[in-house]
Amino acid sequence: MTLSATSPAPSLSTQDLTIRFGGHVAVNAVSCDFHPGELTVIVGPNGAGKTTYFNLISGQLTASSGTVTKDGQDLTRMSPSARAHHGIGRAFQLTNLFPALTVLENIRLAVQARAHMGWRIFRPVRHYRALTERAEHYLEAAKLGTRAHDLAANLPHGDQRKLEVALLMAMEPDIYMFDEPTAGMSLDHAPDVLELIGSIKSDPTKTVLLVEHKMSVVRSLADRIIVLHNGELVAEGDPATVMSSAVVREVYLGTATEEVA
Amino acid sequence: MKQSYGTLGVKLAVLAIWAALLFGPFLFQDVRSIQVAARICIFIVLVASYDLLIGYTGIVSFAHTMFFGFGAYGAAILLKQMGPGWTPVLLGAGAGAALSLVIAAGIGLLSLRVKAIFFAMITLAAASVALVLASQLSHLTGGEDGITYRAPDLFKPATKLLTDGDGKVLKLWGVSLNGKVAAYYFVFLSCAALFWLMLRLVGSPLGTVLKAIRENEARAEAIGYRVVAYRTFVFCISAVIASLAGTVYAVWLKYTGPETALSFDIMIDILLMVVIGGMGTMFGPVIGAVLLVLAQYYLRDLMGAASEAVSAIPLLPELLNPDRWLFWLGILFILLVYFFPKGIAGTAMLKGSRT
Repeated sequence: MTLSATSPAPSLSTQDLTIRFGGHVAVNAVSCDFHPGELTVIVGPNGAGKTTYFNLISGQLTASSGTVTKDGQDLTRMSPSARAHHGIGRAFQLTNLFPALTVLENIRLAVQARAHMGWRIFRPVRHYRALTERAEHYLEAAKLGTRAHDLAANLPHGDQRKLEVALLMAMEPDIYMFDEPTAGMSLDHAPDVLELIGSIKSDPTKTVLLVEHKMSVVRSLADRIIVLHNGELVAEGDPATVMSSAVVREVYLGTATEEVA
Repeated sequence: MKQSYGTLGVKLAVLAIWAALLFGPFLFQDVRSIQVAARICIFIVLVASYDLLIGYTGIVSFAHTMFFGFGAYGAAILLKQMGPGWTPVLLGAGAGAALSLVIAAGIGLLSLRVKAIFFAMITLAAASVALVLASQLSHLTGGEDGITYRAPDLFKPATKLLTDGDGKVLKLWGVSLNGKVAAYYFVFLSCAALFWLMLRLVGSPLGTVLKAIRENEARAEAIGYRVVAYRTFVFCISAVIASLAGTVYAVWLKYTGPETALSFDIMIDILLMVVIGGMGTMFGPVIGAVLLVLAQYYLRDLMGAASEAVSAIPLLPELLNPDRWLFWLGILFILLVYFFPKGIAGTAMLKGSRT
């Protein structure tokens, strides 16, 4: 409450967000605000509920209790597609593309969804030049220009991760959610993806949420860190403070001590 | 990316098939051939509309013959009650399509959310109910015997489309331009128009969404496409097109019964054709329908001839006996699935890629 005078209104916030699977509480009463122009990294050991928390925000799972609001609007009961139209853009941990379509078609699908043109049923796709041009713009932004007509399935892993980010950018969301965007990438490819995320972060109207394990990534990108453990939010704050706090050391003890240190 | 040679080959083959159908009555001048050509036209549309479901969105339905039957019975009942004319045909087409639309929307909204297997079961149940109703409501549908009626006067064999100076029917390349030819072109043009509509549909932005849903349903939803709505829409479109194909078939046959319009044998034919031809291409159904209809009509003849040719050799004539045509069709089917796992069109289109 003391902060609200100085910081802008949150674009996204979760209030006591909880989901139970039978007796297991995977995410337990997580309340957290996210602000435009801010990149929040969510850390925590495996099984801490990070991806589940993401799924609750983007709608792949529906909360048992609590709420998800974006710009004051309650999204808690909406389908993933409705949330997408409300500006939530979600990328996935495992590469999650349309494999038998070309790279350009993949991106154009996102552009087309954003433009609400999926229900055009008669004119051939190639007549919608504006959609293709928009898709080509994001294709270039993600440095995938030479791959436009390759099938997504045939891309090397690093390019698939870039396409994943390009898809998200083409949705032009207000909230970007990345789930380990550099997972499985070689060191020489990871900077491309991080650069893309950095360019999104530099836009003061965008809110970015990032699940990440690699501490180098966390240090270079994070404005703020929140720590999940056993489904609960155990720490939040600026990176330096959080990473050196006792609770984080305890959470990570035995899993990634060296990395945190 | 340029189209592969395989894709070009498949497109050429499909074009050749449509050209052959266009000149069908002049190319193949006997009564049976024209029956075969008309049946091919109808099944191309019926199978292509099924491909919209199974090939483009991955929905498995067993109710496709039910929608086909609605269209056929709609026209048949009205033609019987009101006598021959265009009004009963149009009304029947409209009624069949409307009923198909309502039932497809109902089934879709209720059950496309659930697992694919439940949806398949529900369509199976609906199709069974339709079949039972058709045989029970015999005062309307003629029961097991079906309904015989007359088509609009234009299609009577005695109708003269063009006459020469003596008032006799004009012949073009040795074919009398009578009502039978008119009826064939009614079938051909209706089917070509419906097929063209479906081609437009799969090439449109909506078509891309359907492919996206087939490829990765969860991601399609996540980027903002309401998957249930798209699936229900496609199910409805596919049902309406099947129904219209049924109406055309009813007008052509001048008879509608459970055997020709509702039986599960037709459903199995549709499945075989879409699997043989290749799913998700729109061209596959054309190839599949041609092959299977030709096999159904001519495999027995071919085997009869082969059986006589080898009559001197022991055992072979027995194997090639025309009564065993289903056995050979089965073997052909197994070989096709083995060598063309994605169907003929689907497999061919992957060959000979150019960059």
